[in-house]
Amino acid sequence: MGIITISREFGCGGETIARLVAEKTQFLLVNKDTIIQGLTEYGIGKPEEDLDKIVVSDDCEQLVPQYVDAMHDYIYDLAIRNNLVILGRGGSILFRDYPPALHVRMIAQFTQRVQRVMKLYDLNSETAVKLVKEKDSEKRRYYRQIFDANWNNVRAYDLVLNTEKMGLEDAADIIVSAYQTHASPREVKNGPGGVDIENGIVTPSADAEAEKFMHPSEEEFAHMLDFYRLRWEYEPRTFLLEWDSEGNVIEAFSPDFYLPDQDLFIELTTQKPRQAWRKNRKIRRMKELYPEVNVRLIDKKGFESLLKKHSIDQDEGEES
Amino acid sequence: MKEYKPYQEDQLKILLTQEQIEEKVAELGKKISYDYAGKDLILIGVLRGSTYFMVDLTRRMRIPFAIDFISISHYSEQTDSAGVVRITKDLDLSITDKHVLIIEDIVDTGLSLGYLLRNLKTRDPADLKVCTLLNVEARRIVEVPVDYKGFDLPNIFVVGYGLDYNEKYRNLQFIAEFDRP
Repeated sequence: MGIITISREFGCGGETIARLVAEKTQFLLVNKDTIIQGLTEYGIGKPEEDLDKIVVSDDCEQLVPQYVDAMHDYIYDLAIRNNLVILGRGGSILFRDYPPALHVRMIAQFTQRVQRVMKLYDLNSETAVKLVKEKDSEKRRYYRQIFDANWNNVRAYDLVLNTEKMGLEDAADIIVSAYQTHASPREVKNGPGGVDIENGIVTPSADAEAEKFMHPSEEEFAHMLDFYRLRWEYEPRTFLLEWDSEGNVIEAFSPDFYLPDQDLFIELTTQKPRQAWRKNRKIRRMKELYPEVNVRLIDKKGFESLLKKHSIDQDEGEES
Repeated sequence: MKEYKPYQEDQLKILLTQEQIEEKVAELGKKISYDYAGKDLILIGVLRGSTYFMVDLTRRMRIPFAIDFISISHYSEQTDSAGVVRITKDLDLSITDKHVLIIEDIVDTGLSLGYLLRNLKTRDPADLKVCTLLNVEARRIVEVPVDYKGFDLPNIFVVGYGLDYNEKYRNLQFIAEFDRP
């Protein structure tokens, strides 16, 4: 599942940009309307009710948890089958623990946003100023009320775009290209057919496809293990990391190698540190869920030193 | 006469000074002497990185011992995919029923040391232990016992005091962090 979340200050052009990003990526756009529609199907809320008003109203105490649960379920449900562009709704918080998601925040100066709103809705400046302030404060309250989070915390995002001097089309292109760079090249495995699931660990059935390495570095690593006469298995197990409320797997992790004699799983990464960091997070999650399993990440630097250290003139380098 | 300073032009960041190394080696020598007093000890230096450490360490020991050396082939990207690790220079002495201490300059992945331990174990030594000057736990792939260690290092590349880069820098008196080109 691909996820791009877009959060914006009112009047940034965020809605248009989100629509453009969805068109360019062929992702499904999820906005307030989609969610109201979905929640109505869940039997929560009515199409004519303004959800923003409900969640900041006085009797929100019982409504909010119900609303958040339903929204969470609904969006996760959508995300299992679709790639999503999520506009607003705290998408960045909903998917903050899903590392491949790209979280974008759009900003622009207040006066710029007022001008855009004046033009867009044909308003005088006084009304536009009032509207922008109102909408911003609504978003702020929404975040505080529902997620107990600070809406203005730009550090919660992967990409912050200032739309003051940028065309909306350009902004959309930047987001699409950032997403392509950001998203891990390897798709999360979703418990494919022909596997047994036991205690959250997936074991491929015997007739699983013959050894096929996903990456040349993995093949190289396998050669090295052969060289040192160590027994290994390639991606023998998938560890399930997260489920939605219906028990569907939404995050899983298959370490590259298992060394039976060491009882050790090894994940290789030749990615940039930023992406390796996301793998690290998966490994941390795995250690939480499966504390009895030994797993180790070999990063780009470590892997290169493994291969390079003896490659030039039979350089003896380390561990000689 | 103009003083010749080797590798002056290279950007080496000193990590462990000559004094620090000397102090640590003396400490290890003393500890090993105490632990192996009265035992039939053979020190096995793993070529070629451990030679400097081996010499300095043994000069700090106060018990009798024998020394021998061993060398094994290492994996490189050019290695034939059918190739396996092998001993390129074997021991001259028999280690059966002897107390064996392997001397390493550095233990990182544990791959070659793991192989060495498996191989030497088959020769039935009385016991088999490992002494390394440097230990890089962060790069470990195979669990290996390290019974004596000088220093723990993070995941960096180092040269000096026996450790080389393309055969260079072995003769540095200190150990330095080295950015590979």
